[in-house]
This record gives sequence, structure tokens and C-alpha cells, in this order.
Amino acid sequence: MTAQSGVSGVVQIVGGVALSPLLVGLTQQAKARLQGRRGAGPLQPYRELRRLWGKSGVDVEGTTLVYRLAPVLVAAAVGAAILLVPAAAAAPGLGVGHDALVLAGLLALARLAVCAAAWDTSNGFALQGASRDLTLSVFVEAALMLSLTVAALVAGTTDLPGVVAGTAGGHPWTTPALGLAAVAFALVVIAETGRQPVDNPDTHLELTMIHDGPVLEFAGRDQAFLQWALAARHWLVLVLAAGVFLPHPSNVWWQLALLPVSLSLLCLALAVTESLIAKMRILLVPRLIGVGAAVALLGIVTWLVDSL
Amino acid sequence: MIFLVVGGLLAIAGGGVLSAVAGRLAPGLRLQALGALAIGVAGAFVLFAGGSAGSPFTSELTPQAGIDGLTGFFLATLALVACPALVFASSYVPQTIAGRITGSLSAAFLLSLIGVLCARDALSFLFFWELMTLVPAAIILTGTSSEAARHTVFTYVAITHLGGAGTWIALLLLAHEGAIGNASALSEGSGVQAVIAVAAIIGFGTKAGLMPMHAWLPRAHPIAPAYISALMSGVMVAVAAYGLVRVLVDWLGPAPSWVGATVLVLGGLSAVGGITYALFQRDLKRLLAYSTVEHLGVVALGIGACLLLRHHGADQWAAFALGAALLHTVNHAAFKALLFLGAGTFERATGALELDRLGGLLRRLPWSGGAFLVGALAIAGMPLLNGFASEWLTLQALLHVPAYAGVWDGTLGAVALAALAGTMALAVLCFVKVIGLVLLGPPRRTACAEAAEPARAMRSSLVTLAGACIVLGTVPGLLFSRLTTLAPWPDTGQVPTRPGLDLPGTGHLPTVGLLVVVCGLTGLLWLARGGRRAAPSPSWASGQLIEPQLLWTSAGFSKPLRLVLEAVLRPQREIATTTRGGVVQEVSYAGRVPHLIDTHLYRPVTDGALLAASWARRLQSGRLGTYVAYLIGLVLALLLAVRIGAIG
Repeated sequence: MTAQSGVSGVVQIVGGVALSPLLVGLTQQAKARLQGRRGAGPLQPYRELRRLWGKSGVDVEGTTLVYRLAPVLVAAAVGAAILLVPAAAAAPGLGVGHDALVLAGLLALARLAVCAAAWDTSNGFALQGASRDLTLSVFVEAALMLSLTVAALVAGTTDLPGVVAGTAGGHPWTTPALGLAAVAFALVVIAETGRQPVDNPDTHLELTMIHDGPVLEFAGRDQAFLQWALAARHWLVLVLAAGVFLPHPSNVWWQLALLPVSLSLLCLALAVTESLIAKMRILLVPRLIGVGAAVALLGIVTWLVDSL
Repeated sequence: MIFLVVGGLLAIAGGGVLSAVAGRLAPGLRLQALGALAIGVAGAFVLFAGGSAGSPFTSELTPQAGIDGLTGFFLATLALVACPALVFASSYVPQTIAGRITGSLSAAFLLSLIGVLCARDALSFLFFWELMTLVPAAIILTGTSSEAARHTVFTYVAITHLGGAGTWIALLLLAHEGAIGNASALSEGSGVQAVIAVAAIIGFGTKAGLMPMHAWLPRAHPIAPAYISALMSGVMVAVAAYGLVRVLVDWLGPAPSWVGATVLVLGGLSAVGGITYALFQRDLKRLLAYSTVEHLGVVALGIGACLLLRHHGADQWAAFALGAALLHTVNHAAFKALLFLGAGTFERATGALELDRLGGLLRRLPWSGGAFLVGALAIAGMPLLNGFASEWLTLQALLHVPAYAGVWDGTLGAVALAALAGTMALAVLCFVKVIGLVLLGPPRRTACAEAAEPARAMRSSLVTLAGACIVLGTVPGLLFSRLTTLAPWPDTGQVPTRPGLDLPGTGHLPTVGLLVVVCGLTGLLWLARGGRRAAPSPSWASGQLIEPQLLWTSAGFSKPLRLVLEAVLRPQREIATTTRGGVVQEVSYAGRVPHLIDTHLYRPVTDGALLAASWARRLQSGRLGTYVAYLIGLVLALLLAVRIGAIG
């Protein structure tokens, strides 16, 4: 292991596990400031996690092991995904490889675990959220795959450190395909992190919930796992956005140094989007993300024509 | 080797005879299972040892039989499904006359499947092919003779025979050209090659249930007894995939790109269409049958990618795509057989398979329910299990189509990639629903609340198949590295023989590492959570109690998707409100998602055929004078034709 990949691995694990709630906190704080509120500070998600960790779990009557296992499995799947997504073009082998398509599979596993638990509780609101989430995921998955395909074609591999290296330098400026894929990936980021205009993270009305619906029935440490997993998903997609679709230098040290800057900018962008755009009607969201997928497809065509 | 094969065949035939004897049904079926096992072991031996046994392929019309690597792989797949299915059947099939006939016919079914796979000449291939179509029809009719079942069997036989004409044309033309077993006999882009390709796609595609030739499959597969459904959905469609691979990849030689493109389009259509219609089924077995259409679509995507990549000279990736298609065939066989046998278990335990009227079976049937859960997770493409491994490979193969295949074919590959990604997400939606409605939540009928584990034979076959899904998901690389070498061209690439999947020049899927990390993290977090729990409480329904009427239904869960896809699916709904004196007395609701290919493609064709038949019937007046007049007219017409020099 070189020094580069060692440091990159430390950033990847510490960042994914410990700093991901900070991304949520920063976004919330920026949003509060944009709306003229003082906000609770970027450390608020940590306080919430500490509060939840101190509380006892409450089982729903009549549930099975599926319900008990779900929060743990979600956190484990997202944890494995953290080991998978590199912070820079160099990354140590952590046993799970670095394949972009496996990342999609792990996120699907987390989604399935939560939705199966919703069926286990038979809670109508949870099931409503689950069915909406899974419906949207059909389109999100297609857009995600197509945008990753563009990146993989440009870099010539689906191995993420290779993709980060292959898209480094002037690529995002000189390769129009990558720009088009970035548009699609931006929509994926919004959908995966559950933010407006796809979902409203601050809603307290069960009928409007998507991601918050299926986790309604969890309390205490179960809820803490799920909240952490949501924060870690922010880390995963934002690191991917920063490392692949935003301009980044080819030197690994510079990549690591610039990562905090890119992540902060992306959090700010999420906050601005949330403040500017209202939540869409749920049935219009697939159309939006479908357009994103079409744009990514256009990106592939552009790349094909380009490489003639 | 030869003893194993002959012994296996004799055991199956003997088991078939024994099953017909009163009181010997169960031992007969177990003997058949043993025979299938022997055949599977022989097949696996040929696959892994390399080489072949028996005769090579011949274009002569003399019956020949033999085993090569590809046949061996499919024989092993057959055994993987047939052994558990027949052990399951030994305590599932009732000891009645109909049951005994079914038991004997299952031996005939197995032998015909083995016959197709081992046939080395066109005639015996076609003989066993027809037998393979007809025996299940007989089995279905033995079990039930209702009007609906007869109609279904008629549809099945009619469509598979119309489509099966394609198989005949393809095989006989290949034999005529001397191209069976000889890829260099046909020249690229020749007319006869095009005819063979189209005929094979129609013939084998119909049997594989590729859209739009699939109409029979979701009808016929569900009404057979559970273990025959498992054999049909697990093995019979796999044999159709075998035919596709044999003709299109092996014998056709270098094919023009439209062949691969056509297979890719049909595959994408079947994958998306199959799983979409699966979502709107009310009956568990029918849902599973539609999902078979989906998975054969995924297999076809692999084959299509293989053909396109081969056409564009990327031989190595073409071999990987072929390996992906083959691996998905065996994976699908494992989990689909598991799910069909599970459905049979639940039907036996609760009496019905309507999705909205099951529930809570995981608690009542921990072993069968647990095995069914594993199968549902595998079919939904969850990492760690076998479905994900082969879908990952297919995605990789499709991703490399744009990298090698130029603008047009590359775009097609990208669209297919998006379709497969969407299909995988739809499969999650579909099978979360199945898991929830069948295994979880409160029991929705008293029969479900009182359901009990079935006999040990049934349970153990389910658990065996669940184990196969886990093993195939953990060490797919050991099989895949062998499967890529089945490609009939020299450069099949070097895939290291490791448990995980490791393709050169792209990312890799370390299955064992993922298993260790995900399971290890799950265990650690479970321990970290500790055991502190408050007293259980009811789930939140805005302060109401959860009444049975408030439970979610299958249609409710898939409603958002139905609304999103309204423009495509054209769902129908009728709401009738009865009011008396301004007060609503009764609201009745009926909603359904019609099958568009049935209504827009098959209905006009069958209507046209019936209309033509009624016109033709006017010719048949039944009077002797009319027929004499026809004869005289014919003779006169012929004489006239000779006179003007058109014939003779």
C-alpha cells in the first residue's frame, strides 16, 4: 500500500463513518441561513444521533426477524458501500472491491431491507412511503446506471479509482458526454439523498413522506442506524459527484485536499436547490428523472460519435 | 462416464414405470430424482473436465447422441432443478390414479429434456423437442380438466407449435446446409443464414417466452402442478435458451449485426415487459411465470450482447457475455424452481395462492418461508446472492457494447443497459411486495393463521435450493471461468478461477469479501445495538387500530407505478356508486391492467384467423354436387394452364 492509498483510505473511512452527518448538518444550516433563520448549527445531526442512541428501541407488535434485522442490515450495506467508494484515485483494497455497479446493488439492498420491514409492520404510511420510494427507484436506477456508464466509458473501466483517475484533469470541460451525465447524476443525488424537489426531508406529515415513511416505526438505536445510513448516503453520492463529475486534479494529494471544498460546495448547492424549488407532485418526479436518464443516454451517444 | 449416463437414464425410465404402480409413487419419483442426479453429475464432469463424450454433431439424419461442454452445463442445470423438484413431488403428488400418471409422465418429460440436450442430429433433436412440448400438456390435463385448463392447454400447444415451426425450419435448413456442428458452412450475410437466424429466434424465442411470443407462458406455467411448474420454468425455458445459444452463437458462424440487435431488442422488451406485468398479477404462480419472461429476457440480453460484440470483433467480451447469459440461466433455474416449489407448499398449506389472501407465513412456516425469502431476495437481484452475480455480469457485458460496437449498436447497448437497470429496480418492487404479502404482516385468512410446515421431503428440497442460491452467489467465479471457455472461438479471454468475478480491464465483484463484510458488519451492529427494548407497541395508524380492512393490498402497493405508467399500460378501472335518497349505499370498484400484447397483437390475429375460417367454411357445403363441381373446376383450370403454357 502506498502512502497515497493509505491516506485516501483513512479519509474514505473516517469521512464516510464519522463526517457524513456533518454533510447533512451543513446542508441544513445553509438552508436555514438562506431562509433567514439562525439554524441549529452544523453539528445538530450528531446531537440527534446521540439522543437516539440513548433511547431504547420499541418493537412493533407481531413483527418478525425481518423487522429486527432491517436497520442493522441497512447500516451494514451502506457501511460496505463506504468501503467501496474511494475518496480519491488511489484507494486501498478493503475486501469489497471498488466496482460502480456493485454500489448500485448495495444501495438496492438497503432499500429492500427498509421496505420489507414496512410490510412487516403493516403500517399504511410506511408502506405508502415504501411503494413510492421503490417506484421512483426504477427511474433513479436507470439514470444512475446510464450516468455511471458514461463515466466508465470515458475512463475505460467501472473500477471507481480508475474512473476518478480517468475523468481527472480537463475532462469535465472537454468531454461533453461527462457534462450531460453530470446532469443526470445531479438528479440521482437529489433522489438518493431524499431532498427537494423529490422528497422533503423536513416533513412531519406522514402522507407526504417518501424516505421518512418506511422508517416511521423505528425508535432508539434502530432509528439512529437509519438516520446515520441516510447521512452516509449523502457522503456516498456527493463523494462520487465530486470525484467523477466535478472537475478534479489528477494528483491524488490535490484530490484529497480539494475534496472538502467540493463537498461543501455540493452541500451548498443542495441547500440552494431546496430553497428555490418546491417539492414536485410525486407523479411528476419519474418524468423528471426519466428526462435525466435520457440526457445521460444522449451523453453516451455523444461519446460514441466523439470516439469515431 | 457412460455408465453414469446410461444408469441415470435407466433410473429415470425405471422410476417412471415404478411411479405408475399403485403404492410405489414416492419411491418411483425418488428413483427418478436419483437418475437426474446421475445425469447431472455426468454433465458437470464433462463441463469441468473439458472434451466431450459420445458422437459429435452431424448434419446427417441418423440419430446420434453425445455430450459436450454446453450440453453438460445444461444437464447439470436440469439436475439442479429436477432432483429437489422430484423429491418434493414424492410427498406432494397425491396417491391417486391421476397422481400416478403424473408421476410417470414426469419421467417422460425429463427424458425428453435430456433428449433435446443430448441430440446430435436434427431429427432426434426435433423429435425430443416436440415431445418436450407435448408431455407437459398431457400432465396439465391429467391434473385438471376444467374448461379453462383445456383452453389454456390449447393456447399453449397452438402458440408453441406455430412458433415451433421456426425450430423445424432452422434445424432442417441447418442440416441441409451441412451447418450442424460446422460454423464455417454458412457464409456471413447469406440469405439462408438470415432465414435460419429469423426462424431460430422465432422458434426458440417462443419456447423461451420472449415477448411478444410469450403469450402462452404465463398461462400454462401456473396451472401445472408445482413441481412441473418448477421444471417448466426452470429447465424447459433453459433448454430453449440452449437452442438459441447453439444455433445463433455456435452454428450460425459470424452473423450480421442485425441478428444480435434483434435478440437484444427482444430481450430488453421481455425483461421490462415481463417484470412490469408480473407486478400487476394477483396470483402468486402467475406472477412467477411473468417473472420467467423477465429472466429469459435477461438471458437474451446476454446472448444479444455476445452476438453484437462478436460481430464487432471483441471476441473476449463476447465470451464473457455468453458466460453471463449461461450463468443467469442456471441462477434463474435455481431460484425460480425454489419459488415455484414454495408456492406449491403455500398452496398446500393454505389452500389458495391469491396474493391478497396470504400473509404471515414466515412465522408459521419458518423453514419453507425462510427458504422462499432467500429465493425472493435472489430473484430481486440482491448482492450476496446468485441473481446479482449474473445480472452484474450482464450489465458489464452491455456496458462494453458501446465501448466496442460503434454508434448504432452502441446506443442500442446503452438503451438495453438502462432497461436492465430499470428491470432490476422493478424486480425489487415486485418481490418486496411478494415477500410482504406472502411472508410478513398478519395472516389474512384463518387458513394462513393455521398453516403448518409441510412434510420433510418438501421442506428439505426448498432448503436445498435456497442453499444453491447462496452457494452460486458466493462462488460464481468458479463456474463462470469455465463457462466463458464454452464460446466456440479461440480468444475467450482469461478469467482467473476465483470465487469472485474478476473481469480484465474493469471493476470486479468480490463475492466472498462482500459476504464477509456485510455479514460481519451486520453482526457487529446487532451486538452494538444491545438488547434494550421497551415493551412492544402496535404500529402507528394515526391513532386508529389497524383493522384488516386497512391492510395494504397488492394493487395498492403497485399503484404509484401504475399511475406513472398509465399512458403505456392503459389500466382499466370501473367505479359504480349506488345511492339511495342522496345517501351512498354501496361503492364497487373493479380495476385491472389488461395485457396489451394480448389485446393488440394476438386478439386481431386470432379474430382474423377465425374470420378466415368462417369464410373457408362456406366452401364446405357438405353436398356431393359441390365437391364434384370443385373437382371439375380444378381439372379445367389445370387444362387451361397447360394450354396457355403456364405449367407442363
